Amino acid sequence: MHFDDGQTKALNGVDLEIGAGEFVAIVGPSGSGKSSLLNVIGTLDAPSSGELTFQEQAYSKIRDASLFRRENIGFIFQSFHLIPTLSALDNVVVPTIGCAGSESEFRARAEDLLIQLGLRERLHHFPNKLSGGERQRVAIARALINRPRMILADEPTGSLDSVNATQVLDILSNIAKQEGLTLIMVTHDATVSARADRIVKMRDGKIENTHGATS
Amino acid sequence: MNLFRFALDNLYRRPARSMLTISAIALGIAAVVALTSIAWGFEASWQKANDARGTDLIVTRIASENTMPSPFRSEKVQQTLEAMPQVKEVVGLLSEMLTVSEDSPPVFVFGWVYGSYLWDHLKLMDGRWPNERMEQVVVIGSLASEMLHKKTGDHVEIEGANFEIVGIFESSAVVENGALLMTLDQAQKITDKPGKVNVLNIKVDANASEADMNAIKAQVRQALPGFVAITSGELVRKNAVVRLSKAMSNATILVASLVGALVVFNTMLMSISERTREIGVLLALGWQRSTIIKLIVSESIILSLVGGAVGILIGVGITWGLEHIELMRGKIDAIFSLPFFFAVLGLSVLLGILGGLYPAVKAARLLPSNALRHE
Repeated sequence: MHFDDGQTKALNGVDLEIGAGEFVAIVGPSGSGKSSLLNVIGTLDAPSSGELTFQEQAYSKIRDASLFRRENIGFIFQSFHLIPTLSALDNVVVPTIGCAGSESEFRARAEDLLIQLGLRERLHHFPNKLSGGERQRVAIARALINRPRMILADEPTGSLDSVNATQVLDILSNIAKQEGLTLIMVTHDATVSARADRIVKMRDGKIENTHGATS
Repeated sequence: MNLFRFALDNLYRRPARSMLTISAIALGIAAVVALTSIAWGFEASWQKANDARGTDLIVTRIASENTMPSPFRSEKVQQTLEAMPQVKEVVGLLSEMLTVSEDSPPVFVFGWVYGSYLWDHLKLMDGRWPNERMEQVVVIGSLASEMLHKKTGDHVEIEGANFEIVGIFESSAVVENGALLMTLDQAQKITDKPGKVNVLNIKVDANASEADMNAIKAQVRQALPGFVAITSGELVRKNAVVRLSKAMSNATILVASLVGALVVFNTMLMSISERTREIGVLLALGWQRSTIIKLIVSESIILSLVGGAVGILIGVGITWGLEHIELMRGKIDAIFSLPFFFAVLGLSVLLGILGGLYPAVKAARLLPSNALRHE
């Protein structure tokens, strides 16, 4: 698979297969194509050549990428990207706006998720009243609200101190395991990648090597 | 959390900008409301005056485009009209806008044929009517009495002649309430237009049909070249001032809509440019592009709808104020109605959609990966 953003070849001949329920860490220096790979997997960018498939569905056959993302993918970002004027609970509900279904059910699920993530006391707090770790937990709940099959996390612990980073990582990997979700995480942090089932190391848009975290 | 609440929340995030946009729309809508209600009221008020008098058809000069049709010698025209079948009564009317008091604005002075049906619809509140054709007296409308600070027994000087006020009347038409009324003979005398009238009022037989009225119109066209018989509605609509005020109100609607849409356009364009990354996040989270469009258009409709509602209040306030300032009293009688307010709100929604559509489409077409990188 190839991807170029019009100026540079961000991905060059990437060939990668990820199993359902697998936790994959993508590592590599800045500009190595980690985030580009994540964006292509997440249908935020289309490859300039090559093909991706998700559970036997070819990406090129996806008619509505938004709908595909909503049904299959949960995104988590390094800087949380919460909406500052909405409470934690409302932030989690945002992805359901425009979805078929009852508002109160979405709300109840959002509440359950936040409580599950240890934010029972923070449901109605605004992001500026939450710590970094709490914000990222809200973002995790938001990524899970539509019951995705795959979580794509771009440096989810990059803005957190080590205590919060460990906590967020625990939560993510536990939930992924419990629910059988595929977790693909871009990271710089060796302690983070060490938790993954597999590490994909990238350089200059290519996969340098791929190996199990413990091998 | 639903789309509407989210849209409200987004507007609330930038209160100053939202308020400024709402104010700009409100001012435009206020101008629309004030000018339109006055223009329509102006037309309706004249029509009401004509209708209240019980006039079925009005004969006037074809070329007459002034507020009051230009005067003509009535004798022969009147005789021709009286000879037509179904015509019951033909009475002349002379009308002038005159200054009767140094410290008040000009008022309408009407001269009506003594003893004619025209007087029948007025209600005498005080004093008496003129006793004969040549009596040099006036009766004044209740509003004119207030404006001129005159009451029964007082005197007014009109075109150099001294008139005693012998009575005060009330009419259902505001133009008549604000006017001075004398016999036609006196009006012709003081304005130096002997034998002349502005219009001839025709009352037809009670059983006359629409076809009979049309027949009279056709006969007038044939027998009286240069003259035309029209209904009071047609006369009012033909009136230059009515047409001018309606044209002005239409122009205001156009300009206000354009400015309103541009203001919304500018606000929403700024807003989506600031929220580019957030829109990227929403797209990444699985929001459909159509949901983004709905969100932005909802925000612009909320802005313009609130602006429209505030504008209606301001517009009604302005009109009320105008109706009550000395210069305009008795000359305007603005018309407000529920359908009119709904139409104005509809216009507001329309300009919200017009102004918001392009920014909405622009936002929806953002590439999520680019939008997420936006600083």
